[in-house]
Amino acid sequence: MLETAVASLRFGASMTLGVRFNLRSLERLVGAMLETTREFGGIGSEGAELLAGPGLDDDTRREMQLRRFRSQALRAMRTTSYYGNLFAQAGLDPAELSHEGIATIPLTPKEALRGDPDAFVNRTVRPSLRATTTGTTGWPTSVQFSRYEMRALVALASIAVILRRQVEADDLVQIGISSRAILGVTGVMGACANIGAAVYLAGLLDPEHTLALLTERRSIPGKRERVSVMSTYPSYLGEIVETGLRLGYGPKDFGLRRLLVGGELLTQGLRARCQRLFGPVELVSNYGMTELAPFGGNVCSQEHLHFDPSGGLVEVLDLETRRPAGHGQAGSIVATPFFPYRETTLLLRYDTEDVIRTVAGPLTCEMRNLPATSNILGKRRLSVRHDGGWTFLRDVVEALEGVEAVPLPARFGLWATSDGVGVEVLARSDAPEVGDAIHSRLEQEGVPVRELRVVTDRAALRQPIPLRGDLRDGSLAHAGGRGGSNGSSPPRPHAAVLASGGAS
Amino acid sequence: VSAAYLVVAATTVVAATLASGYFRRFQPMRPPIGVMNLRDVVIMLGAIVALPYVYLTLPLWVVAVLFSGAILGALYFVWEPVLESRARIWTACLLLLGADLVLALTRGTTDGGFLLVNNLLLVTVVVGVTNLWAQSGMKARDVAVLAVGLAVFDVIATSRLTVMTDLVTRLSGMPLLPVVTWRASGGARGLAIGLGDLLLASLFPLVLRKSFGRRAGSVALVVSVCVIATMLAVIDLRLVRTPIPAMVVLGPLMALQYGYWRARRGSERTTLEYLRAEPLPSGTSSEVAPV
Repeated sequence: MLETAVASLRFGASMTLGVRFNLRSLERLVGAMLETTREFGGIGSEGAELLAGPGLDDDTRREMQLRRFRSQALRAMRTTSYYGNLFAQAGLDPAELSHEGIATIPLTPKEALRGDPDAFVNRTVRPSLRATTTGTTGWPTSVQFSRYEMRALVALASIAVILRRQVEADDLVQIGISSRAILGVTGVMGACANIGAAVYLAGLLDPEHTLALLTERRSIPGKRERVSVMSTYPSYLGEIVETGLRLGYGPKDFGLRRLLVGGELLTQGLRARCQRLFGPVELVSNYGMTELAPFGGNVCSQEHLHFDPSGGLVEVLDLETRRPAGHGQAGSIVATPFFPYRETTLLLRYDTEDVIRTVAGPLTCEMRNLPATSNILGKRRLSVRHDGGWTFLRDVVEALEGVEAVPLPARFGLWATSDGVGVEVLARSDAPEVGDAIHSRLEQEGVPVRELRVVTDRAALRQPIPLRGDLRDGSLAHAGGRGGSNGSSPPRPHAAVLASGGAS
Repeated sequence: VSAAYLVVAATTVVAATLASGYFRRFQPMRPPIGVMNLRDVVIMLGAIVALPYVYLTLPLWVVAVLFSGAILGALYFVWEPVLESRARIWTACLLLLGADLVLALTRGTTDGGFLLVNNLLLVTVVVGVTNLWAQSGMKARDVAVLAVGLAVFDVIATSRLTVMTDLVTRLSGMPLLPVVTWRASGGARGLAIGLGDLLLASLFPLVLRKSFGRRAGSVALVVSVCVIATMLAVIDLRLVRTPIPAMVVLGPLMALQYGYWRARRGSERTTLEYLRAEPLPSGTSSEVAPV
């Protein structure tokens, strides 16, 4: 307990003063949280408050973030070629920046990082891991991380998971994200290893195979009988739900109690259909990206996206003027991850292209001490500007996934028309009543549909929005149709059903 | 037996019984993250060995300030769940602490009024500290280790060295005297038991109750009280004329009890398991997360 008190103080000092995490203390804190959970059944609200730090008023938060931004900007100017050149050309001195002056620093676009990732690497730090994005929206972007960052990332992920009781020691955890998403995989695996949960990296397999894994009964001492937690993308989850319902699976076939989803938009329609397949399962979503990790956001029960101000600076810039968005307006997230969370690939004012809406306080949710925006509305480059304003992916996908005739995940395209948008969507039927239902639902969500094209063949979509669920990891078991490399077949509790479903 | 015996023995019984009663009725605010573990016990043992020398070195007023701070903290912990209102808690704490300080300064530390208040203060501290430790998840194994460590320390510090005798002599004129004692008016002899001994004697029944059940806790309570009462009687009846290091007897008995219950019941229960098996009476707030 005394060591824990010291570790808590060190953690608090890093959070509030921006000094380097002491990794031993951080890991000690994780151990203490596990001991506390084991002894008392969980961490109380006081523990959560202790780790989150005190809620800051706006002025204090601005002051703290300005100090941290200046410090990170100085580090970036002195140690990276990209920001060394940028500050020299702009004639800016990071040490003199005011809060308003931050806006004078040019945004860092994705293309700059993608084009020359090494120009952002701190030359005083030894990188040990090159992580790449999955490349769903283009050529993968690579980001370097040091050993310190990776250990901190795992410890911080563990703290978050333990605090929210997302994974417990008796859980069987299946990771259903791309095996190339090394940061997400490392974070979940590391947290599971710390907690003592059994974890398995399944990757993105054919949905039938994933369903077989989810329904497989195991007899690991001290663990649940079937997979109890799965981490995945919403679109892949949609595919599993769709396939599972089609193949006749139901809640009794699964032992899932929690789904951790991120990387895409989680809709109410998906939530509802998920319950039909898995029963009363909890869906937890968050916001994170390789470029900013471990800085990210958490979604509260009121669907706000909350950011820890000690982890980085979040600016919300108007989609057209690129000036700070006003209350209730849409804008894209421009983020600067701070030290001590980020020391290798330094990014200042990184334009994530993720669109949100600002929210006016006072907040009443359980995370009200943290600044918040709306939940993610979609990527800016995939949003559509028309005479009536903007239509975002969330408006469309919430509507489509709320229509039973649209299979999950909603596959659709979106384009601008003169005074609204055109939508093409894959549906189970192109009957007129299906089109009417979709049209009506889109209008309910405020989508000004001027053209609607309903297709029943996925290949007929002209410009479908890319989905992470379409990424695939190879599976030897399905490659040749003759079982795995050792000649054995994958577990098939529903072999007859699977045979009729086939492998795609 | 003397009146001193009756007062000190009764105070011991009251302290241990109140601690056990409080354990089932109130929950002091424990640190939100962390569990009292073996590392804490080792650190505690190190502090117990070092602190007497520190107290012998520091000016008395500094020692008094340190004691005041520590005792005030313990009083706050014990009253917080009982009185709830911050004003009432501080009033109770400051009244008790203030009475001890004022009586010591105005009437001296041998005065019956001072000893009564000081004993009352120590009983309150014992109730608070034992409950804070036990309700912070301390294991019976760790208390047994602490007890055996203290037994070894007691033998050396009391029998081989003069450090404990020197300490008691030095602190005897100070308020917040860390011993429960009584001296009959006009009597030359008094009886005393150290705060540390009383703490361990009151703590062990709590952790045994948590770890192994009601019977284990009750037996530990009876054993602790009887052992102390017997040792006091031996001194009171002048069968022994030197101070007896109480932990030399209590320590091994605690280790034996731990070994017995461990062999009989298997692994220790966590607080969560204890509260599931023996829920607190209704109206008692429980911080254990629902499952």
